[in-house]
Amino acid sequence: MKTLIEPRDERTQPTRIVPGYPQTPWRNPRQPLVKRSPTLSELTGPLEVAKRVRLLGGDIAGHGDKQAIGQLIHLKVRVLDEDGAPVGGAVVEVWQANGAGRYIHPNDDDHAPPDPNFYGAARLVTDETGMFELRTVKPGAYPVPTRDGWWRPPHVHFSLFGKVWLSRLVTQMYFPGEPLNAQDRILNAVPDAAARESLIARYLPPTGDPYNALVFEHQIVLRGRTATPAQS
Amino acid sequence: MKRSAMIPTGEATIGPFFPPRYVDAGANDLTMFAGRKAKGEAIEIRGSVIQEDGKALENLVVEIWQADALGIFRHPADPRHAQADPDFFGWGRAATDSTGSYRFRTIRPGAAEGRAPHINFMVMFSGLMRILKTTLFFEEGVDVVLSAVPASRRELLIAKKQGPNSYRFDIQLCGDGETPFFDD
Repeated sequence: MKTLIEPRDERTQPTRIVPGYPQTPWRNPRQPLVKRSPTLSELTGPLEVAKRVRLLGGDIAGHGDKQAIGQLIHLKVRVLDEDGAPVGGAVVEVWQANGAGRYIHPNDDDHAPPDPNFYGAARLVTDETGMFELRTVKPGAYPVPTRDGWWRPPHVHFSLFGKVWLSRLVTQMYFPGEPLNAQDRILNAVPDAAARESLIARYLPPTGDPYNALVFEHQIVLRGRTATPAQS
Repeated sequence: MKRSAMIPTGEATIGPFFPPRYVDAGANDLTMFAGRKAKGEAIEIRGSVIQEDGKALENLVVEIWQADALGIFRHPADPRHAQADPDFFGWGRAATDSTGSYRFRTIRPGAAEGRAPHINFMVMFSGLMRILKTTLFFEEGVDVVLSAVPASRRELLIAKKQGPNSYRFDIQLCGDGETPFFDD
């Protein structure tokens, strides 16, 4: 089955240089990016990545006296391709701050406490309907060390392996109704308002969730659609 | 051009807090898969990833994707994939160390359909809002991707031979000697 990758609509993707994000001008190419027509090499890619990496379960909020502190949430995420078809069997890597806005990572400073019951990472495989689910705590906001008042709103990081090399995606998901969303430099680096909105999860009213958690649902669209027989 | 039904999700930076445990031990060694040795010539590729001021960056994530020794991709879109080496996975991940260097052990790829032997690279890091994609070549040759690069910059995509099975491929993100990256 052949995957087609079309040129991006740049307004739906972040700019590479972001005002107020000091590392961006040092690390992004200044020369024009080279246009190429994808070949078989870019239109294939690693499948069954779960055979190559160690998975970590999606229940990361802990249980009993090992329960993480924070608002318990149940995140339901569907992964689709550009046809709207589910992408099953895709490895998804998840990482996030704890309820206080602290990552378990040597790069994080000590502005907020680590939670001994929260590491904040899950590595999962989507099911045949493209779904993966997490039982976690809502990440806290945290200040970016730019010292000019930039705080990251609560967000969850995702890295996904799609069907081909060019569908590889690293993205972030935000929460609805957060006042920091409006001024976040990373979220607002996407010029198109509808594309920005699609990065914000949807809150579902409580209806007896099995985890007794607040439920958010989200959708991630990977690049690529299936070629029709005429295009193959 | 036909418009797609769904708009691909916006990319974002991997940020400074990508969990170190996601760089699994052995993920940078493509010569072995599920305890079995891949066919072909084992090679080593090392390099640094450098930002504009010349500083090599630590904890940056590099991923590669390539064909096996016969130039076959482990993927159903390759018409020859039934003949792909079952012991070669084709994908690997490395993180740069405290000196800013990454290292892969892999198999020298064969020439895939219409292409010179090459390895696809991705770079992910804090400050990169989009994944940067480039391609390593072993020598100048006829290749549609290499010829898309302006002639004066093509040599920047040719790995430097260090020994019989060893290559160096530095990636300059920005500034003098900037590595060509692809718009896709």
